[in-house]
Amino acid sequence: MSLTAREISAGYGKADIIRDISVSAKPGHLIALIGPNGSGKSTLIKTLAGLLPLSSGDIQLGDQDLGDYTRREAAKKIAYLAQERRALPAMTPADILELGRAPFRGRLGKISAAGHDAIKSAVKAANIAPLMHRRFGELSGGEQARVLMARALSVDAPIILTDEPIAALDPYYQLVMMDILKAEAARGKVVIAALHDLALAYQFADRIWVMDQGQLAVDDVPHRALSEDILARVFKISAEFPAVSTSLIEI
Amino acid sequence: MKIFLILLATALCFLGSLFFGQAELGLGEVIAALTGSGSELNRQIIWELRLPRAALALFVGAGLGASGAALQGFTRNGLAAPGILGFSACAALGAVAALYFGLEQKWIAPAALIGAGLGSFFILSITGLKKGANVMILAGVGIGALATALTGLIMNLAPNPWALSEIAYWLMGSLQNAELNSLWVCAPLTLLGIILLWVIAGDLKTLSLGELTAQSLGVSIARVQFILIAGVALCIGSGVAVAGAIGFVGLFVPHIMRLIFGPDPEKLILRSAIAGAGFLLLADMANRALSGPGHQLYLGIVTSLIGVPFFLWLVIKEVRA
Repeated sequence: MSLTAREISAGYGKADIIRDISVSAKPGHLIALIGPNGSGKSTLIKTLAGLLPLSSGDIQLGDQDLGDYTRREAAKKIAYLAQERRALPAMTPADILELGRAPFRGRLGKISAAGHDAIKSAVKAANIAPLMHRRFGELSGGEQARVLMARALSVDAPIILTDEPIAALDPYYQLVMMDILKAEAARGKVVIAALHDLALAYQFADRIWVMDQGQLAVDDVPHRALSEDILARVFKISAEFPAVSTSLIEI
Repeated sequence: MKIFLILLATALCFLGSLFFGQAELGLGEVIAALTGSGSELNRQIIWELRLPRAALALFVGAGLGASGAALQGFTRNGLAAPGILGFSACAALGAVAALYFGLEQKWIAPAALIGAGLGSFFILSITGLKKGANVMILAGVGIGALATALTGLIMNLAPNPWALSEIAYWLMGSLQNAELNSLWVCAPLTLLGIILLWVIAGDLKTLSLGELTAQSLGVSIARVQFILIAGVALCIGSGVAVAGAIGFVGLFVPHIMRLIFGPDPEKLILRSAIAGAGFLLLADMANRALSGPGHQLYLGIVTSLIGVPFFLWLVIKEVRA
């Protein structure tokens, strides 16, 4: 299922934060959404997830307008991972992952067999099996990030939108998280991740969207999206890619 | 297993409370009266005084416990409670206004319900501007403070000491005037309120991941907020209407349930309702045991005196852990 936005504008109050953005994301692609602080990355992610009302334009899920979906039906199609890592400290990852199945729960709250399968594969994808019965509050930042990533995966939605999934993580967990996202894209999903790390965006993304002052400045493959000219114009830095690539050491 | 123990304890409190009162009735006399035999007087004491009183304690306590658990679940704030977020204060203001204007006793309950309804309307109007827990806490505390200030104004303007003391005693909360009519007001409204809170219980659990994430999982914050405020207003309005302002139960009962059953707000609503009922029955028994002719204790005072030290002990224990 593809995700297409046509000339969308949105914001929190009267003023629009993002303006006239048209983008399209294909299944199987990992898209890195980059841009300076305040350029509108989070707002675009939330808007694409249907969490902010559009002031103009429309968003298509496959060939249907997102506005035609009920909130619950949309929740089955789009998984959203917030930047803020939030869960009750006394909850276990097992409890948290069950919440990923909330859009599918019937009146009595039972989780279906398909739901249990989705949770199992999310546990495997994020490699959190050993953490399942510990308390969320006792986990390290990297472990919490993986648990909440698994929560987003447990929805088993065709579209995954993540807002700075690797913020405040050490290099090891940054790579772990990027690997998870890449693997989800490889399974045929649309994955969009707002990122600050240009090197990881360059290394992992199939396509990069560059935001600048609420507008889409560039939509291109990594080596063209991160050209010297764009880095200087949008980020006001002087840098060159490809940088040295990084990967996980097998241990 | 634990939930059965709490159910059993509450059931025992209910039965136990039939033995407390000015007339001393033994086990045989109570059973006889319950089954319709025994003396006319004993039957009247049990069926017209003690059973309604126990049932009222049950419903008022259940409403307080469920409301506290739901509010704490929605706001993800352990200090949220009907007494703090303005619901009790608005209901009390309605009742106090009725007392001030010298309305008949039968108008006090409707006035309290109107107070709770109006307060909820104002809280909803403010939260309508921007949905979410933070705005609701601010709106609730603000509206509650206004209601308390207006209650103070009414007491200030009370025409004579007798009217002032009537208001003051009423504010302390009591079940001593419990009668069947009160039960017909309180029971259905509280039940409806608890059902509403139960309807949103699953959404409250999802909300523990934060409002944005919950929305992305299909939760409508506006719907949850509306049902929550309506449910709490029904529970608290009907409780205050028949028993006055009873403090602290809605705050600390959900805390204790959280210690026993874990943090899941979905589970905590019904469990807090059962435990709230049990606690209020217990407090009312203690109240009757300690009161005597000439020195009447008020239930709201007893619940606070039992609840506050226990709550502080919990806080100290949690801080140390």
